[in-house]
Amino acid sequence: MNSPAVVTVRALRTRLGAEEVLRGIDFSVDRGEVVALIGPSGGGKTTLLRALNYLTPFTTGEVAIAGLRLRPGMSERTDAAALRAVRQRAGMVFQAFHLFPHLTALGNVMEAPRHVLGLDPDAACARARALLERVGLGGHAQAYPHTLSGGQQQRVAIARALAMEPEVLLLDEPTSALDRRLVGEVLAVVADLAAQGQTMVIATHELAFARRVAHHVLVLAAGQIVESGRPEDVLDHPQSAATRALLSLE
Amino acid sequence: MRCRTHAGLLALLLIGHMAAAADAGTLARLRARGTLRWGGDIQGGEPYVYQDPQDGARLIGFEVEIAEALAQRLGVHAEFVQNDWQNLVPSLERGDFDVILNGLEVTDARRDRVAFSRPYYAFTETLVVRREAPFHDLAGLRGQRVGTLNGSLAYDLLTAAAGIEVVLYEGVQEPYLDLEQGRLAGVVLDNIIANRYGLVRPTLRAAATVGNGFYAAAVRRDDSELLQAVDGALAAMQQDGALRSILTRWGLWDDRQAPASDLPRTTTTPEPPHPRTLTQLPLFLRGAGFTVVISALAMALAIIGGLALSLAGRYGGVLPRALSGVYIEVFRGTPVLLQLYVLYYGLAPILTLNAFTAAVLGLGMNYAAYEAELYRAGLQAVPVGQSEAALALGMSRRLALRRIVLPQALRVALPGIANDFIALLKDSSLVSVITVVELTKQMTITAVDVRGWLGPGILCAALYLALSYPLSRLARWLERRLAPA
Repeated sequence: MNSPAVVTVRALRTRLGAEEVLRGIDFSVDRGEVVALIGPSGGGKTTLLRALNYLTPFTTGEVAIAGLRLRPGMSERTDAAALRAVRQRAGMVFQAFHLFPHLTALGNVMEAPRHVLGLDPDAACARARALLERVGLGGHAQAYPHTLSGGQQQRVAIARALAMEPEVLLLDEPTSALDRRLVGEVLAVVADLAAQGQTMVIATHELAFARRVAHHVLVLAAGQIVESGRPEDVLDHPQSAATRALLSLE
Repeated sequence: MRCRTHAGLLALLLIGHMAAAADAGTLARLRARGTLRWGGDIQGGEPYVYQDPQDGARLIGFEVEIAEALAQRLGVHAEFVQNDWQNLVPSLERGDFDVILNGLEVTDARRDRVAFSRPYYAFTETLVVRREAPFHDLAGLRGQRVGTLNGSLAYDLLTAAAGIEVVLYEGVQEPYLDLEQGRLAGVVLDNIIANRYGLVRPTLRAAATVGNGFYAAAVRRDDSELLQAVDGALAAMQQDGALRSILTRWGLWDDRQAPASDLPRTTTTPEPPHPRTLTQLPLFLRGAGFTVVISALAMALAIIGGLALSLAGRYGGVLPRALSGVYIEVFRGTPVLLQLYVLYYGLAPILTLNAFTAAVLGLGMNYAAYEAELYRAGLQAVPVGQSEAALALGMSRRLALRRIVLPQALRVALPGIANDFIALLKDSSLVSVITVVELTKQMTITAVDVRGWLGPGILCAALYLALSYPLSRLARWLERRLAPA
């Protein structure tokens, strides 16, 4: 490993109520690397992604994003600055988009550069317009989210996350909430980002996409990484029962 | 055909029966009913008509005794009917009771509306001021605030004396309280009230007697039969000393209560202007102006205060949360009228607010509790994903609240806030209890002045509508405009 790891996860455990959702996770993501997180529903993919920017607190273990450490037991109140620092470096794309409905597409993308980074309005606007162009929505800058299709909304959400120029982009099943016919436009944008060297961790059910775009695949089942490796190894020669079951469903 | 004939006959019979009953006259109806219904207002307090402190269900007072003696001489029982004092005359005309017996001063203006019996009490109007104040007559009070009761003879006296700012009260305690607090320079009321409620306070003194007059019973103008009977009974009570013994028992007998036969039937009082409703339009507009200004300031306070309350309740620590909850429950769970009384009169010894400030504060603090609940609903309506998305972008919780969550919550709350503003506009009429003359109070004053409710009522309603209709259109528009996309 000659490039430094952007994401490091060690011995990560987390519980939601009585249930231990993540049961000891270790992995790292290098700069420019795309990691696909696959596995059955309920296996812990979303929890793991949310633990990476501490939207879901974890019980034990450690996460480091671009060298900034997250520890168990941090609080939104007392560790606000540390959490903000991590979150500014780890962009998040949600399954349900979560665009801000009171802002236009442009407003959604400008919001964080303007008010978190403190860019002046012109600079934030220029950055946002360029990003909307990049996700193919240059003509929809003034559109409000509810006038956009799901695929368009998710592309705005990706632009919004990229506007903070994050070290790593976390995508939580970005196409699961979309009609089949809209999945392609979003995956094309993600593939384009991968081609340009954006570090990403993508939780996905799109195995063909994972094979094509990811450098590394992690199979997460019952809160543990049951298998990991290059896509062609994991997907063509699955070692674990969980992976085989996942593949047979496709 | 037969049926119709029968129906016609029946109708004729009924009409004839009713006419016969009317012909029978008031006295016959009283005796058939067995009661003399007399109207008064127990808010006038001791010694007129009031609840027995030992037995709240029993009414006592010198007028209760006079009414009972009168009824007895008419061969019936006395039955008290509670009625707002300043509206005793219209209620008498409506037929709610047979006679008014409640410190009703004989004035020429009232004589247009009612028939007065011979007087049963001679009173004076007493000007009460603070002990150290230099005033010794009404002329010296030019430019000052002087308190009295609406519709009283004292009110006529004060409006006839130029240059005095007249402040109207609903009860007899409050003007003296405000005089003590320095909110008034003087109070002019009947000597009975002044002696019992004003001069018992060591800080106050009687400055002058500024008028005099008589209390008499009043009946409907066309009710000459009852008038004669009441006159006869009162004359008899004066002759045989019954009246004197009642007045003496209540400590009201004095030199002015001359021998019965000498009590004049008329008095000279300043004839107040007899205005028409429309000539009062500028006063109504001024009242409407007060309504708008008070409502707008109170709403501004409520909008800001409500936001603070809801944020404290949702994001604050244990203590702010508890305080916010208690505040909302207390202010929503008690009448705003009570809150206004406590704020203006109750706190006066500690914090003497002027009436306008107390009105804005009282309404604003009350409505803040309601606005807080609207914000709360708005905040709850914003999906948790919104604040997560904001936090994930590196926003602080405060920034996420200000830029992302609150704007969305406000959209949910805004139509409700506009509706509350309409409600507040109308609730603002309650501040008349703390002497602010806003639109509704102006209407009641004018109604007493012009001796009719219809004209002032319609004018007042038209002004309220002119104020609230644009607001209700705004609320509808906001509802449509901000409907969840």
